[in-house]
Amino acid sequence: MIQLSYLDYIAVERKSFLHRLSPKLKIIGMLLVLFVIVTVRNLPGLFLLYLILLTLFFTARIPAKIFPLTLYPLIFAILFIFLSGFQIFFILLIFLKVLCGSTGVILLLASTPYPSVFSVLGRVLPSIFVMALFLTYRSIFILLTVLEDTQHALYLRGGVQWKHPWRSLINIANAFGHLIIKGIDASEKMYESMMLRGFKGKIHYRRE
Amino acid sequence: MSHIHFPDGVLPFWLWASGFIVAILVGGLFLRLTKKEELTRRLPLLGMMAAVMVLGASVEIVPIAYHVNLTVISGILLGPSLIFLATFVVNVILALFGHGGITVIGLNTLTLSIEGILGYFLFRLFWRVIKRLTLATFLATFIALLFSTFAMIGVVSLGTSHYEELIHQEGKGIFEFHLSKEKEEHHPGEVDEEKVNLRRFMAIVLPLGFIGWVLEGVITLLICRYIYRLRPDLLHLEKETL
Repeated sequence: MIQLSYLDYIAVERKSFLHRLSPKLKIIGMLLVLFVIVTVRNLPGLFLLYLILLTLFFTARIPAKIFPLTLYPLIFAILFIFLSGFQIFFILLIFLKVLCGSTGVILLLASTPYPSVFSVLGRVLPSIFVMALFLTYRSIFILLTVLEDTQHALYLRGGVQWKHPWRSLINIANAFGHLIIKGIDASEKMYESMMLRGFKGKIHYRRE
Repeated sequence: MSHIHFPDGVLPFWLWASGFIVAILVGGLFLRLTKKEELTRRLPLLGMMAAVMVLGASVEIVPIAYHVNLTVISGILLGPSLIFLATFVVNVILALFGHGGITVIGLNTLTLSIEGILGYFLFRLFWRVIKRLTLATFLATFIALLFSTFAMIGVVSLGTSHYEELIHQEGKGIFEFHLSKEKEEHHPGEVDEEKVNLRRFMAIVLPLGFIGWVLEGVITLLICRYIYRLRPDLLHLEKETL
């Protein structure tokens, strides 16, 4: 999940033709990719789409170390191998659909800051939902800081050692418990500061 | 385990579109049942718990690609209405991260929120009956996950005819593409091999799921115990004992 902050950093810091493109256009592009994924049922079509996405990925100055993120969903696609009765065509079709989808979204997020994506979504989705998205996004970064501190404390207490599964489980659970309590405290402070700044049930954000 | 890590384009259109419609209707109903002031006041908490769930999804238990959902503990802390909105938000963020398709967000929200909502009610019920925090939390988590996994299998089974259609799509399309020519010669005994095998799918998912239910149950009970030691007020248990 650390990659989330790195993705956000790349989206803001890097300058390429894709980064300069309007978020609205990129979201429309992503919807087009989705449309192709949903409708196209032949391997060459999907392979062509994947090649286009790969070209965009490597020409948009997105670091190669982000690339493994696009392969991660393949782990779950393996379940489909068992469902299909090991049909090569079906497996390749599913894998290409997975790769196109994940490369598309990673491409979108590595070139568009989350707030810009949410602000576009805010035009079509209910405000309460977009506010929840914004607050979750903000909270992830607050909790990541807490998580880093917790990790240090965890290592000092033996960390996660699979030789001692029960102790490791207790450590993991305590870390999450700590994270939740810190998160709830932070949410109370967040609400108070939002009220002090005149929050009346709607967050106003800067447009593009 | 209940999170459907399906890519886009695998489930039939009617299924994922219905998932979105039902999720929007249920979400709308829950929002109507919640007072606006209450919703506004608890929105930062919702965001924080959704963030905890997103972070939980990043802790991978490597050998079986299982991650904790933390939906039950979030359900216990947020209540049934807010957990629904929280799971919706979590699924959108996870989908934007390539973790599950965008088109299955609605279905994922429905299956994951079963965990949260059922977990909340079962936890209250078991707490009233057993009065033991660890057991009540474990049982609530285990049963909630069991139900949501079966809900996920149910969703998968609804698309069976569509998967078969996809399997037999080979060679159709813009270009001819033959990867397994030898399969064109069918023998009577091989017919079943080409069909979608839901039993095989369940045989993989259920044992993995069982490990997941136990792991999540243990982690949730330990988290619950930790919260009970430090901030028992968050669990609202006093009201239940009166």
